[in-house]
Amino acid sequence: MEKISFLQILNYSAVIVLFLGLLSKAIKYFTMPINLRWELYPIPHEKGRPHGGSYFEDLNWWTKPREKTLIGQLKFMIPEILFIKALYHDNRKLWIFSFPFHFGLYLYIGGFILLLIGSVLTSYINLSSDLFIIKIVQSLAIIFFGIGFILGIFGSIGLLIRRSTSEELEGFTSPKDFFNLIFILLIMASGLISLILYDKGLIAARVYINGLITFNPIVSPNPMFIIHIVLLSLFLIYFPFTHMTHMFAKYLMWDKIKWEDEPNLKGSAIEARVDKALGYVQDWSAPHIHTGTKWSETATKGVEENEKK
Amino acid sequence: MKKNKVKVQDISKPSRQLVELDPKEFMKLPHPYEDWDSQKELKQVTEDQRNRLECSLDGHVALGLQKIESKEEQEQFVKKFLEGLKKLLTKENNWTFLKPLTLSLEYCAKCQTCNDACPVYVSSGKKEIYRPTYRAEVLRRIVNKYLKNQPDFMAKLTGNDIELNYTTVMRLVELAYRCTLCRRCVQTCPIGVDNGLITHELRKLFSQELGIAPVEIHAKGSVQHLQVGSSTGMVKQAFVDTLEFLEDEMEEKVGKKIKFPIDKKGSEILLIHNAGEYLSWPENPEAFAILFDAAGVDYTISSEIVGYDGVNYGLWYDDVQLARVAIKHAQIAKQLGVKKIVVGECGHAHKAISVIADRVLNKELNIPRESCMALFEDIVMNDKVKLDPSKNDMPVTLHDPCNMVRLMGVVEPQRRILRKIAPKFREMEPHGVYNYCCGGGSGFAIMPSINFPDWKYNISGRMKMKQVLEAFQNEIDPDIKKMVCAPCSNCKGMLRDLLEYYEVWEKAGIHYTGLVEFIVNAMVDIKEPFIEWPMI
Repeated sequence: MEKISFLQILNYSAVIVLFLGLLSKAIKYFTMPINLRWELYPIPHEKGRPHGGSYFEDLNWWTKPREKTLIGQLKFMIPEILFIKALYHDNRKLWIFSFPFHFGLYLYIGGFILLLIGSVLTSYINLSSDLFIIKIVQSLAIIFFGIGFILGIFGSIGLLIRRSTSEELEGFTSPKDFFNLIFILLIMASGLISLILYDKGLIAARVYINGLITFNPIVSPNPMFIIHIVLLSLFLIYFPFTHMTHMFAKYLMWDKIKWEDEPNLKGSAIEARVDKALGYVQDWSAPHIHTGTKWSETATKGVEENEKK
Repeated sequence: MKKNKVKVQDISKPSRQLVELDPKEFMKLPHPYEDWDSQKELKQVTEDQRNRLECSLDGHVALGLQKIESKEEQEQFVKKFLEGLKKLLTKENNWTFLKPLTLSLEYCAKCQTCNDACPVYVSSGKKEIYRPTYRAEVLRRIVNKYLKNQPDFMAKLTGNDIELNYTTVMRLVELAYRCTLCRRCVQTCPIGVDNGLITHELRKLFSQELGIAPVEIHAKGSVQHLQVGSSTGMVKQAFVDTLEFLEDEMEEKVGKKIKFPIDKKGSEILLIHNAGEYLSWPENPEAFAILFDAAGVDYTISSEIVGYDGVNYGLWYDDVQLARVAIKHAQIAKQLGVKKIVVGECGHAHKAISVIADRVLNKELNIPRESCMALFEDIVMNDKVKLDPSKNDMPVTLHDPCNMVRLMGVVEPQRRILRKIAPKFREMEPHGVYNYCCGGGSGFAIMPSINFPDWKYNISGRMKMKQVLEAFQNEIDPDIKKMVCAPCSNCKGMLRDLLEYYEVWEKAGIHYTGLVEFIVNAMVDIKEPFIEWPMI
C-alpha cells in the first residue's frame, strides 16, 4: 500500500495550524473582559430608525420593549460582506481592486467547498458521479475557481500597483504588505495555470480532494497543481498570525463593539461581568489614582476623600 | 515619495518643528471668507516658549508641557511611557477598553480610507500628522517593536519602523490633543478600526500613568469638579446664589416668579446641567425652568457638590475620573430618590452618563438616564405647552453634537421639534449621525493654552464654520439675522469663540443658541422674545 505523501501531510498540518491559530485568536478575544460601551451610530439593528437613531430617543426608554431588526442588520451586512459596500462609497479607487480581490477569494473558497461537497457525496454517500446534482456541483466548482482566480489575480495586481503608486499609501506600506499580496497572487496564478493547462475539468483536483478526505494516498497530480497546493498550505499556516484574519475581527469590531448597544439591566449577565471587572486590581501610577486598589475602590475612594475635604 | 512629506517615523527625529502650518494651504471657506486666510496669520509661540515648552509638533501648544533637560530624566520619562503602554494592554488595568483597543491595534489594513472623513486632516490642507491613521500608526509601531521585542530589521520588514525616544513621547502628548474624538473616521473604516479610540487610550496612558493632562481638563476640570463641586470652580453657595439671581432675571423676562426646585426629594427627575450654562448661557437653565414650569414637569436640581455640574471630563482622557464623577452623579440621584436622571443640553454629559457609564453604574446605582431631547419632544409634540412657531421666524440650522448623535443615537427628537416650531429650519450638510464636530470636542472648547485657540479656529473648527456658512449662503447678508441651534454647552462654547474669531455676526449675521431657547421663544404665554441677539 502506498504511503500518504509529504504533500498530504503538509495539507493536513496546514488545516490543523489554521484551525488552532484561529481558535487561539477566538479564545483570546472572547475571554477578554467586558468593555465599556463604545457604540457608533448608525446601528442597523435598531428598528424603525432609518436616520441612525437609538432607543435613547424615546421617553422612558427603559420601560419599552427592546426592538431589534435582524432584517435591517442583514440588509446592511450582506452587501457589506459580499460587495464591501462601505468601501464603494468611501474609497472607490481602492474598491475597484479590493472588491474583485475579496470576491475572488470568496469564489475560491466556494470552489473548495463545492469540491468537498462533491467528494463527500461520491466518496462517503456513494452517489454516482453521473448524477445530475453531482454534475452541477462539479460544473459550479469549475466556474467558481475560474472566475475566482481571474478576479483574485486582477485584484491582487491592482492592489500591488496601488500600494506602489498611491501617494496616500506611501509611508504606510511595508514589505510585509507586498509579501502578502504577492503570496496570494502566486496562489491564484498557479491555480489558474493548473486549471487552464492541466486540469480543465478539475478531474485531478477531485481525485486529490477525494484522497485527502478519505485519508488515502493520492496519485501525483500535475506539477502546477503541486505548486498551488504547497503555496496554499503554507498560506494557511501563515494566515492565522496575520492581520488578514480581519474577516473574523470585523465581526468583533462591528457586532461586538460598534453595534453593541445592549443596556446594562439589573440582574443581567452584563451586570455580573461588570461586577467582575470592577474587582480587578489596577496599578496605574499617576498621583490621582490609588495604585494597587480595585477599580471599584479607586472609583469611589477618591470621591469619599474629596467629601471629607 | 513627495518631497518633504512627513513620514510616521519622523516623529522621533528631533527638529524645531515637525510640520509648518500655512493658512494658504487650509481648506477654503465659502463667501464671504474667500480672502480671509490671506489676511490672517496664525499666532506663533515666542522663542522663550519654544525653549521651555513642547511645541515641536506643529508649533501649537495644547498642554504647555515643560521640556525635560536631563538625559536621565528623559530616559525615565520614556520608560514610564512604555510602562503605561504595557498597562493599556492588560485586563486588570484596562478592562474598560482592552478589547476594542487590541483589535484596533492589530487589524488596521492601512488603506487610508478614513482620512477624508476627518475634519482636522481635511481642513489643515491634508497635513500628514493629522491623518487619523498617523498617531495610531505611531502607537501601533511602538507596541509591535518595543512590547513584542522586534529586532530593527524585522520591524522594518513588518512596517514597524519607529524609534521610541524622548522626542517621540513629547510629540505624542501634543498629538493626542489634535483629534476631537468625534469618531467620524470609524464610520468609514471597512474593518472597524477605531483611531479615535486609540487617541483616547493614548490620552489615558498619559493621564493615568504619567499624570499628564491639560490643566483645564484635569486639575481645573475633573479634579476641581470632585473637590469643589464644579469644573467651573463654582462652590455650592455660589451655585445657590446664582440660581436666586437667575430666578430674578427670569421674573424680569417673563413677568412670573419661577423657582428652581433644589434638592426636592422624591421628585421624578434629577435634572443635571453643564454648570457652564449657569455662568455663560444662563438663558438656557432659565428656559428649562420656564418650560418645565409651564409643562408641569416634576423635577429637581441638586445643590450637592458634583451634582450641580453634569460635565464628566474623564470621558476624554481618564477612566478613573470618569467613573468617579458618574458614580457621584448616580449616588446623588439615589439619595434624592428620583426615578430618572435627565441630562441637560450637554453632549458629552449625555454620552458619559448614559452610554459609557452604563457599565460602571451597577445595581443600586443603575438609575435610568435620559436625554432632555426626549423630554422636550414629549412636551412639544404632545402640545403640553402652547407654541406659536411664527415667533421663531429667523433662518435656523441645527448643529449635531457628536456625543449626542453619532455616539449615542439621539438624532430625530431635536429635528422633529425644530421642524414644528421653526418654519425656516434647514439642515446643514452633512448632518445627523454623519455630522461634523464643532471643532471643540474632547475638551478643546475649554482649552485656551497659548496659541492653541488659533489652531482650533483655523483647523478643528474650520469644517463647522464652512457648514454653517453654507447652510445660510442664500441669506448671508448680515442684515438677515440667522441662528445656529447647538444643543450642547461645549459646542456652544466653541461656536461662540469661532463666530467671534471670524467676526461672523458682523460679516454674516449668524448667532447661536441652544434648543430649549427656541421652544420658550415660541411659547404663546411668553410675551417678549426670549431669544436675544448680540448688540451691534
